[in-house]
Amino acid sequence: MTQNFIPEQAIIRKIIHENEQISTFRLELTNKNLPFTFLPGQFLMLSVPHCGEAAISISSSPDTLPLIDLSIRKAGELTTAIHSMTEGDQVGIRGPFGKPFPMEDFANRDLLFIAGGIGLAPLKSVIDHFLFQSTTEDNAAQSITLLYGCRSPADIAFNEVITSWREQGVDCRLTVDEKDSSWNGNTGLVTELLDHFKTSSNTRSLVCGPPIMIRFVIARLSAMGCDDTSIFTTLERHMKCGVGLCGHCHLDGKLVCLDGPVFSLDQLKKLDVMEFSR
Amino acid sequence: MTNSIGELVGADVLLITGSNTTETHPQIGRNILQAVDRGAKLIVIDPRKTDIARQAHIHLALRPGTDIALINAMMRVILDEDLADDLFISMRTENFIALRDYLHRLDLSELAKITGIDQATIHEAACIYARSSKSVICYCLGVTQHTCGTNNVQAVANLAMLTGNVEKKHSGVDPLRGQNNVQGACDMAALPAVLPGYQNLADMEIRSRFEAVWKCSIPATTGKSLTEMTHNGKDGAIKAMFIMGENPALSDPHLGRVKETLNTLEFLAVSDIFLTETAQLADVVFPAASFAEKGGTITNSERRVQICRRAIAPIHNCRPDSHIIMELGKRINCPGMEFDNDAEIMEEISLLTPIYGGMHYDRLAENHGLQWPCPYRNHPGTEFLHKYYFARGKGCFTITEHQEPFEKTENKYPFTLVTGRGSYHHYHTATMTRNSRRLVRECPQALLEINSEDCDNLKLRDGETVELRSRRGAVQIPIQITDRVKPGTVFSSFHFFEVPINELTVDAMDPQSKCPELKVCSVNLRKVAHD
Amino acid sequence: MIDLRELILDKDKLYPLLRKLKKEARLIAPVKNDHGDTLFTTIEDIDTTRIDLENQPQESLKPFFLPQQETVASYSVLNGEYTFTPPEPAQDTIFFGVRSCDLTALLYMDLIFSKPAKDATYYDRRNHSLVITLGCNQPFDNCFCEATSSGPYLEYGYGLQFIDLGDCYYVSAGRGRGADLLEKWGYFFREVTKKDQNRRYQLFLEARGQFTKNIQVTHACQKLQKETVAEEIWEKLSQRCYDCGGCAYVCPTCTCFSVDDMPQGRSNGIRIRSWDACTSSGFTRMTGGHNPIDRTRHALKRRFLHKLKYDFANHGKASCTGCGRCVDICFGGVDITTFIDLFTGQETP
Repeated sequence: MTQNFIPEQAIIRKIIHENEQISTFRLELTNKNLPFTFLPGQFLMLSVPHCGEAAISISSSPDTLPLIDLSIRKAGELTTAIHSMTEGDQVGIRGPFGKPFPMEDFANRDLLFIAGGIGLAPLKSVIDHFLFQSTTEDNAAQSITLLYGCRSPADIAFNEVITSWREQGVDCRLTVDEKDSSWNGNTGLVTELLDHFKTSSNTRSLVCGPPIMIRFVIARLSAMGCDDTSIFTTLERHMKCGVGLCGHCHLDGKLVCLDGPVFSLDQLKKLDVMEFSR
Repeated sequence: MTNSIGELVGADVLLITGSNTTETHPQIGRNILQAVDRGAKLIVIDPRKTDIARQAHIHLALRPGTDIALINAMMRVILDEDLADDLFISMRTENFIALRDYLHRLDLSELAKITGIDQATIHEAACIYARSSKSVICYCLGVTQHTCGTNNVQAVANLAMLTGNVEKKHSGVDPLRGQNNVQGACDMAALPAVLPGYQNLADMEIRSRFEAVWKCSIPATTGKSLTEMTHNGKDGAIKAMFIMGENPALSDPHLGRVKETLNTLEFLAVSDIFLTETAQLADVVFPAASFAEKGGTITNSERRVQICRRAIAPIHNCRPDSHIIMELGKRINCPGMEFDNDAEIMEEISLLTPIYGGMHYDRLAENHGLQWPCPYRNHPGTEFLHKYYFARGKGCFTITEHQEPFEKTENKYPFTLVTGRGSYHHYHTATMTRNSRRLVRECPQALLEINSEDCDNLKLRDGETVELRSRRGAVQIPIQITDRVKPGTVFSSFHFFEVPINELTVDAMDPQSKCPELKVCSVNLRKVAHD
Repeated sequence: MIDLRELILDKDKLYPLLRKLKKEARLIAPVKNDHGDTLFTTIEDIDTTRIDLENQPQESLKPFFLPQQETVASYSVLNGEYTFTPPEPAQDTIFFGVRSCDLTALLYMDLIFSKPAKDATYYDRRNHSLVITLGCNQPFDNCFCEATSSGPYLEYGYGLQFIDLGDCYYVSAGRGRGADLLEKWGYFFREVTKKDQNRRYQLFLEARGQFTKNIQVTHACQKLQKETVAEEIWEKLSQRCYDCGGCAYVCPTCTCFSVDDMPQGRSNGIRIRSWDACTSSGFTRMTGGHNPIDRTRHALKRRFLHKLKYDFANHGKASCTGCGRCVDICFGGVDITTFIDLFTGQETP
């Protein structure tokens, strides 16, 4: 098997405008014969013409292949460029890369998802997959709860998806740091949503968001009695290859693209990690 | 430099003043650190806690513009402790008594207050410097870019002569030049009052020697300095300018006046390798060849003339500076513009310039070049200067008095702004370096260094954009909270066209050198409204 | 590994052999240029080029297998089609006069670029090359290859190893292309005698005794597996790291890189892989500004732990080859030997 930085061609089939900063790009490989598949938690290296590549988590579940969703927030040159593309335009993808979430371990569990901002994107892949499984198999989740925090109501992404989740029995609780006149929901940090939540030994927690949010949420979960092996997060790092070569995603002897991006707290405690330093 | 760079490793005390050496002179910085690793003592004088200051045994973080007070205090301590080199003073210098009497009248506690450094530390630094017979002083633009810059240098020379630390190996006074060939440019008299080799323009005999070779008559009057030219103003005497490889539209002080000058010229020609801010204002732009596309010699801080050979052919239509000058010269009927190659140019230089007398190309090709003075063909070059006598004969002590900077802080402008190069990644208005993706990645934007105490008082967050304003102009710039600057002082680089810090700086100049006071002006700052 | 073949090449047969080899492939060997620099250079004219086997080449083999800038693909965006093309294939090349440390580095790079998949351009170059090494009878000033088990002579991994016995070379072949070469050009060589073997062994012992640097590499590696490095050591070192990237660039085993697309027109461009250095802050900084590494305290942490702790744990030996090039180049005097001395207690912080 060789690796060569040459992506597969993909077409943007649909663009879903989540909010001012975030859009979901629904891609399909133009070569339908490629045996492409992935697991929730994995990411792609996305090529945008003239902009190079960036690592983006897959936000759809494998059940909706051959369509692949990348939910992207406008942040730098490449992400801004893709936001000015239209349906029918072509991009390139390499992957999938990274260790996925341990889905077998999540069967029959009480799944607790805690997300901040765009951090909901990789978790969405897991939620959608378990909702799909609940209609067909019996190793679905026992329960699914989502605690989702954003800076303001305008920053909330996946509004329609959340509505659909609620209809499918997902307990979705939202909060914002700063409300506006339209907001009737919770205000405050997402950790405060944990005040009204009970965990048990059957709980599996998946956390994703800004580094400082991950730190506080995980500390809170531990304080609530959750075992280190039951708490998972997916880490973001600067990446250039996705295959453990370029060195940029180094993490205390590990490489986030190969040994992660999904990590359990148990694994992270053995490492010197920014998200947990003072 | 009076020393050669390699001698620094063998010094026992290195006094670095107004120089951010590891950032601006990495090879010299390396020599300094090797000396420290050998056991040498390092004293750094700089208002900022630069990387080299962090390595120092003593960091004298003086208030900007108080170098003379500090050095006078150190000299007074040396006299009080009986550490002056009496033999050297009596044999090699003049005017010592006047300086000695002046120093004795000074009040050390007053000087300490002026500099912001406590007496005990000044005392310790002075003794360390004076006790060693292998003490070297290196200085750079932090000393010269002041309205009292010439006096600052004189004070440094006083200090070295007082302790006899200037006539031998591993001791001396070493100005570190700001660009790779500014020494060479000065040697060739890109200066208003001398002929090549620092020969006196006013001397008729010297002028006639040049006139014979150059076949023209040379005016005996002093020309204009850089700042005088770029601050000529809209009604000034200068009507046309040719600017080569310099970007005054970003690098000169008080940019408002620079732009007024450049915009009201009748004609502006610029020669550069990129379309700089200055080139954008020009009527004619000559695309110049870069260092890799042309040959020639470069003279570095240690007076070493080295050949640089062309590595690649000029790309597209760009031409070496020599070609541009010769072609222009021919078109204005300037005689002597027919040199076939660099060796021929060098021959004329060695014919007319005594310190370059023996610098022929075949000699320069061996041994990484030659150090001037090198007066004749067999001369081996000169490692360190002033071995037996100074250029003027005996060294002269000159009394220098502390002088406050041109612009003082006051209620309306309570901060002192210091400007400089600011990072390892950008060079002089970043005309070259901002074309490198990697260098831009490492240093993508201008930042204002400000102390955390000042930020607490003004309720500023790291990275927040502030408006920085002086009497002359304003910029918006994000802040970086750091202990590198003391409370009351802020620092910015001058590379980023979107943050043209020289809109704020003052064009007051040293009366002799005409060097502008880029190191001190007063500013205020305030939050910018959030978007 | 047992040498499959051992022969002697008299010195006056060296250039005739190289002439033959040069007809089959590009021949690259150390040559001293007019400025006194010894660099790996393509030999154009075998009759007028003097190969320099006295001085250490300034660069390792890294630029030939992982070039400082390499086009890994070209792309075009035309009529809605976004397509990529692989680069030109590599040229057959024979490297002669490579030192043990630099071959050791190459073997390390082979490992790195083969997992989790074989790197296309690296292996294209590798599969088209033969490396002929020259053992060092005389270490250079900054060398410490013995401490890193990468010299002065190699015991395995080479294609062909030459040892200079004075008037001839003792040539050992590994597998593959090295053995093939001895087969094909056997008539240049003669049999090894007992005297030759004794002389080789004697020179080996003498070489081992001539290192001027005593760097406790294995001790440091073992200690790193058990102990955390004190923060003061990282901070002291990082304060003298001025982000020049020199160490990463000259190091034969530094393989970290960046990949960027460079447009060359409105509808096409190239994808370039270029050397990068983990000592820079932008190496880990994410879009948006978060940086998991604070280089003011930890500029050198990743670099030294990678070479001495993680690679020792994963591969059984440090990836530092003791070539001494970082010692030559570092502006702050904080090369890997400084760290090893500090950490093993040879020096007080």
